[in-house]
Amino acid sequence: MSDPALELAEVHFRHPGASGDAVSGARLRMDPGEIVGVVGPNAAGKSTLARIAAMLLVPSSGLVRLAGTDARELSRRERARRVAFLAQDEPGDLPFTAREIALMGRAPHLGLWALEGESDRAQAQAALEELDAAHLSDRPVSQLSGGERKRVYLARTFAQGAPILVLDEPTDALDLRHQAQLVEALRDRARRGGCALLVMHDLSLAGSACDRVVLLDQGKIAAAGTPAEVLRAEILERVYRARLDVFAHPRSGRPLVTVKITPGTA
Amino acid sequence: MTRSAAARAALALAVLVPLLVLAALAGLSLGAGNASIANALRGVEPDATLVFRLRLPRVLLAAEVGAALSIAGATLQALLRNPLADPFVFGLSGGAAIGAALAVAAGGTVVGTATVAAASWAGLLPAQLSAVLGALAAALLVVALGRSRGQLRPERALLVGVVFNSFASALVLSLEAILAPEKTQAVLLWLSGTLGYETGPVLSAAAVSVLLPALVLTALAGRLNLLALGEEGAAALGIDVEATRLICFIASSAAVGAAVALTGLVGFVGLVVPHAVRLFVGPDHRVVLPASAVGGAAFLVLADAAARLLFRGLGAEPPVGAVTAVVGAPLFVFLLRRRA
Repeated sequence: MSDPALELAEVHFRHPGASGDAVSGARLRMDPGEIVGVVGPNAAGKSTLARIAAMLLVPSSGLVRLAGTDARELSRRERARRVAFLAQDEPGDLPFTAREIALMGRAPHLGLWALEGESDRAQAQAALEELDAAHLSDRPVSQLSGGERKRVYLARTFAQGAPILVLDEPTDALDLRHQAQLVEALRDRARRGGCALLVMHDLSLAGSACDRVVLLDQGKIAAAGTPAEVLRAEILERVYRARLDVFAHPRSGRPLVTVKITPGTA
Repeated sequence: MTRSAAARAALALAVLVPLLVLAALAGLSLGAGNASIANALRGVEPDATLVFRLRLPRVLLAAEVGAALSIAGATLQALLRNPLADPFVFGLSGGAAIGAALAVAAGGTVVGTATVAAASWAGLLPAQLSAVLGALAAALLVVALGRSRGQLRPERALLVGVVFNSFASALVLSLEAILAPEKTQAVLLWLSGTLGYETGPVLSAAAVSVLLPALVLTALAGRLNLLALGEEGAAALGIDVEATRLICFIASSAAVGAAVALTGLVGFVGLVVPHAVRLFVGPDHRVVLPASAVGGAAFLVLADAAARLLFRGLGAEPPVGAVTAVVGAPLFVFLLRRRA
């Protein structure tokens, strides 16, 4: 069996000064062509796990491997050529235009002086087009709406040309059309051998977009598997401590998760 | 704007370099008395002496110092992600003032004599040497106090620097009260930013200590852009954030240190010029840094020419730092309002 694109082996992480592990004993493998969702309640350690996968946090113990290579053996630039990362809250007040932000994704491929060439510009442009943000190219990101800005920053990760994407809440702030467009774009990349780790809150969207889902609870992986295996009422109700309904989608059979709310009398 | 960064930088320099040449021509021909450059080139006196022996070194010095302060200001504004950062923000102005004041206080003592010897070896006045040492010591202190968990925290360093500068000016005021006023006045005048007549070797050394940091900073300009994304965003794009900050800090301090040694504290150049440049070329540091260097050089050459022209009306030449402040402060407010 070939090496997974990304592998976390028994990873632990504790924030400096914290009393407990934010992520504890996480094991995860992602093969080329896979889209994997990370879900779980607030403060379950999803963002920390994503940062470890993107090698922005160094685990207290355990290993991160990229295509079989220990990530610590790779230079920062080499890692950035292999893994692109989108943070949950990218800065909103920058004077740079959307095109300039997308071009920043090319940084790990540029030399000293950081001057981009024609192909870098073409890749940034293609990424903006793929995310329906090309018409925003000349506008400063500080003037964009939340959803527009998200697409511009997503375009930056696409332009990076890395086979692995680690995206923290990429669909957050996107309207329905652009959510669908993003999932289509990720599927398209997956068909060409790319893979993506997505931190998500919308469980139904995670169920339909992802090949596999990892459910985190208090830093530990509570369940992992196909959406149908993980997104089950008895598991989710225990982890989220909420009353939930899970239905199968009438055509795809994928799980749809909704909260049980007693209808109001008004 | 779909041109590449290199093309935009070239375009900006194509506008600014002729501007600098014009400023230099003005600087050579204007002053307490007018001099004709054409006469000077033909060897006619007193124009030749006035233009080549007196004004040319000053124009060169003004260009070097203006370039150093502007590129350092632009860098520190990016590094600190604060538009109010100026080249002296890391405690440099306070440190320089303490250093210069101490040199006056130590005059006549053993330390004072040793300082005089060391300074004359470097071609500087004792107050200049101790101002640079004071500035560097202050910068090191501010950076040391601005670190937490082994990392330089720009916001923290900024606060420490601002507080240190106020502390230092209180200290200098106290020293002034103790020392004879005529002793301190000359030093304080120099500290407020004065262009003197430097020798060829000093000017060459200054040119190197400005050009080298400028080259380093321009090479790192793309990384400065990425720092705007935040520590994590820059790291995710393969940048060593800590190393980049440290190199930029050292390079800009070296440039500012050379400027302080030669001219004291010329204010507002490092604040106003980068903001004006950004208004025209946008936020990309690969364009902003080289454009600021050339624009800052032109700005200070013109300010120095204005200071010399003012001699005609005032009967005395105001320090160039006063001219840059008088022009720079309203200009800064104007730029601020244009942007908002």
